[in-house]
Amino acid sequence: MTEFDWTQLLDYALMGMLLAVGIAIVRLRNLFAAVMLAGVYSLISAAWFVTLDAVDVAFTEAAVGAGISTVLMLAAMLLTAREAEPVKAIRHWAALIVVSVAGAALFYAVGDMPVYGDPNSPANAYVGMDYITSTPNDIAIPNVVTAVLASYRGFDTFGEVVVIFAAGLGVMLLLGLNPGKKTGGEE
Amino acid sequence: MDILLLIRDIASIALLAVGVLFVLAGAIGVIRLPDFYTRIHAAGVTDTLGAELIVFALMLQAGFTLLAAKLLLVGFILFLTSPTATHAVANAAHRAGLNPLLSRHQPPHPRDTETGEKS
Amino acid sequence: MNPHLVLRVVSKLLIPLIVVFGLYVHFHGDYSPGGGFQAGVIVAAAVILYALIFGIENAKQAVPTGFVRFMAAFGVLLYGGTGVATLILGGNFLDYDVLHPDQAHHTGQHIGILLVELGVLFTVFSVMMAIFYAFAGRAPDIPEGEW
Repeated sequence: MTEFDWTQLLDYALMGMLLAVGIAIVRLRNLFAAVMLAGVYSLISAAWFVTLDAVDVAFTEAAVGAGISTVLMLAAMLLTAREAEPVKAIRHWAALIVVSVAGAALFYAVGDMPVYGDPNSPANAYVGMDYITSTPNDIAIPNVVTAVLASYRGFDTFGEVVVIFAAGLGVMLLLGLNPGKKTGGEE
Repeated sequence: MDILLLIRDIASIALLAVGVLFVLAGAIGVIRLPDFYTRIHAAGVTDTLGAELIVFALMLQAGFTLLAAKLLLVGFILFLTSPTATHAVANAAHRAGLNPLLSRHQPPHPRDTETGEKS
Repeated sequence: MNPHLVLRVVSKLLIPLIVVFGLYVHFHGDYSPGGGFQAGVIVAAAVILYALIFGIENAKQAVPTGFVRFMAAFGVLLYGGTGVATLILGGNFLDYDVLHPDQAHHTGQHIGILLVELGVLFTVFSVMMAIFYAFAGRAPDIPEGEW
């Protein structure tokens, strides 16, 4: 009987809170409270990423999810409605069937996943270890995540920036940045 | 040298315990208190006092390094923003018309006597 | 007395600090968690805070919409331009080692990563500001009793 790992309690508590907040978001009809709970969900996910030792991801999740995304969703909610309309019963059953099938498939796939931190998993076995061992020689910066993001996989980050720019371009073209003025072709 | 480390450890344990106690008190207060304004007060205690004491305890543990300077900055920012956030929420509630739960005497809302008042 | 006095004073203290923190996160992306994405979001959060407290018109005077449009494209241009610069200097596309002759300390890598993450910062900042201006500029004025 091995020693009980007390830090697992933290993981269980965080995942339990995520589950409770998720159920509350689905069940609430007041949209203001739902938007606020979505911000709380992002913050608890950021805390959970820290316990998984992924600090860069947690930083980005906290900044984007709990910060900007809440403000933007509030601004969008101000334009639509304060309460969600009730859903017909038939859509409940259809949604339940779809979610159950997808959830069962995911649970079935979890059995094939590698153990957390396995050195032979595909993420760590091929280029992962090479990045970690050759970053001090090739790039000479301590943060391996930035080295992989900006130097080894610079093309992928370029694609990300172009995608973000395309999203902003879509918003600018569809909505316009000065919506108060009654210009000719804007809708 | 050893006795100094012992004092530092005991001080940080004491500060951590008191900070966690205040966070717990704030959490219980948010659930059990009767009125919105009293609940805001409990949440503010959690944010400001509990978090500041915990940051202080961690600063003692970090010694005299760069980490302690960063924690000092974090504590300073928390000291500025948490009371402001509490004030903003309470101010918004008051301007929207939520009256506090008073016992007998209900003074008129400043909105209703706005023509004469200058505050 | 202004009803939002406390918020105005505290935000006048804090908004420059938030912008400086965003720049700190960007420049220390090499040594601590950070980089361009987080820094862009943090600077955008500072400007959005200004817009929430002082009004959208004042925010549009401080960060005009033309500036936002220009910066969105300029970020992508900066990223691609770094790659083209490395091509002109003789290496491959986005091969940062040719940017600086000092090969022992890989100074070219530092310069390349800083420039590239700066491009990411500009684009992320301006896209967040664009979405905020597009949504918040349309919001109907909520009268005081409707909340």
